[in-house]
Amino acid sequence: MIELYHIWKQYQKPHWALSDITLKIRKGDFHFITGPSGSGKTTLLRIVYRELFPTLGQIIIDGRNTLRIPEHRIYKLRRIMGIVFQDFRLLFHRRVFDNVGTVLQVLGTPQKEIRRKVFNALRMVNLQHKMWEYPSRLSYGEQQRVAIARAVVNNPKIILADEPTGNLDPELAFEIMGLFKEINKQGTTIIVATHDRELIRHFGYKILFLQKGKLIGKEGF
Amino acid sequence: MIAVFFLSKDTSQKELNSVEQTLKKFHLVTNVRFISSEQALKKFKVDFPELRQIIDNLKINPFPSSLEVSLSEKALTSNEILGFIDEMRNMKGVEDVQFNRDWVEKMQSFSKLTKAIGLFLGGILILASFFIISNVIKLSVFARKDEIEILRLVGASNTFIKTPFLLEGIVLGICGGSLSLLFLFLLVKIFPFYLGSSLGVLNELINFRYLTLSQSLSLVGGGAFIGFSGSLSSLSRFLKI
Repeated sequence: MIELYHIWKQYQKPHWALSDITLKIRKGDFHFITGPSGSGKTTLLRIVYRELFPTLGQIIIDGRNTLRIPEHRIYKLRRIMGIVFQDFRLLFHRRVFDNVGTVLQVLGTPQKEIRRKVFNALRMVNLQHKMWEYPSRLSYGEQQRVAIARAVVNNPKIILADEPTGNLDPELAFEIMGLFKEINKQGTTIIVATHDRELIRHFGYKILFLQKGKLIGKEGF
Repeated sequence: MIAVFFLSKDTSQKELNSVEQTLKKFHLVTNVRFISSEQALKKFKVDFPELRQIIDNLKINPFPSSLEVSLSEKALTSNEILGFIDEMRNMKGVEDVQFNRDWVEKMQSFSKLTKAIGLFLGGILILASFFIISNVIKLSVFARKDEIEILRLVGASNTFIKTPFLLEGIVLGICGGSLSLLFLFLLVKIFPFYLGSSLGVLNELINFRYLTLSQSLSLVGGGAFIGFSGSLSSLSRFLKI
């Protein structure tokens, strides 16, 4: 499903944000990427959804070399992905409903269907009662849950989540991970970047350890 | 505007009819009135009573019959009219033509100059509108940069992202076109009202008329097109997608 070959990324010389990362993630896999701050977790995910280009290396997703997809067609790749951004990236002048529904709107989903799916997605993250609020009126934890609802609303093939539980209390964090677990059971490939060791230990999925941009270990393979 | 076609003394009825028909058929002629030599004499005596004695002493009627031709306002600026008058001058039965050629030629030059100035100013205004709309859209793109970025990341196609900006450009163009129609309407109504008397003879020559429906629609449609192209140009420069 996701294949990375010798990925190198350099923002500024002489430091490498990522050094020679090679890994294969099969369809339906659930992976944790962990490591200390600045180890390259976010960079790796941004390269996977092609917000960034690697300095070197190749990426194959769903059988296609993503680096060769022209910019005007990249939306097709993003449509098979649900992304939870570390900084949420919500539209603050739009209500929660519109934030989550945007993903469906871009696909041309009928309005009735959008209402149903958005409601269900918000119910999954216990935010259905905040559907008509603006994100600025929500707490960080609630904003994060809106971002999660947006990532899952379209039943994507791949979910990439960057610190999806960073601002949640442990109880809610486990609940959200439980939600990802259920989604994964339906065949969705999930990659979660987190440094929450307890969470990783509790769920026991495959783990990739990053340190200073290098893949220093794998567990559960 | 009037042109007078003086007829020869020996013009037959058939020739007179032929001249009259030819005049009536010409699209810039609005009316043709026959004035017999007797009517001309009578009119002269009424208009110039102090010269009546001289005419009476002549014993003969010196006035030829004539055709008084009213021309439409377009004749002033039309190139065809001079050619037509020259053609008519050579027609059998026509002795002479009284027509203010100099005046028509000056008006034609004036009309050409006005058109050229109009085109020049119009061109400048079209370019100005294009750049203004283009800049408005550029600012709009910058203001919504984050939103565009998020939309791209959640899988929005180029069309989905660009369409609102293109519509914005079209709406701006339509509003601009409609407003200019409104201002033009007010100008056409108010200008002659306030300046009518001071314009003097020009008031009769310049026809203050509003645009036709098709011209109005073209103006609004043109505005929409300028809005669309201004927006498109801005998007292709500032929205690298």
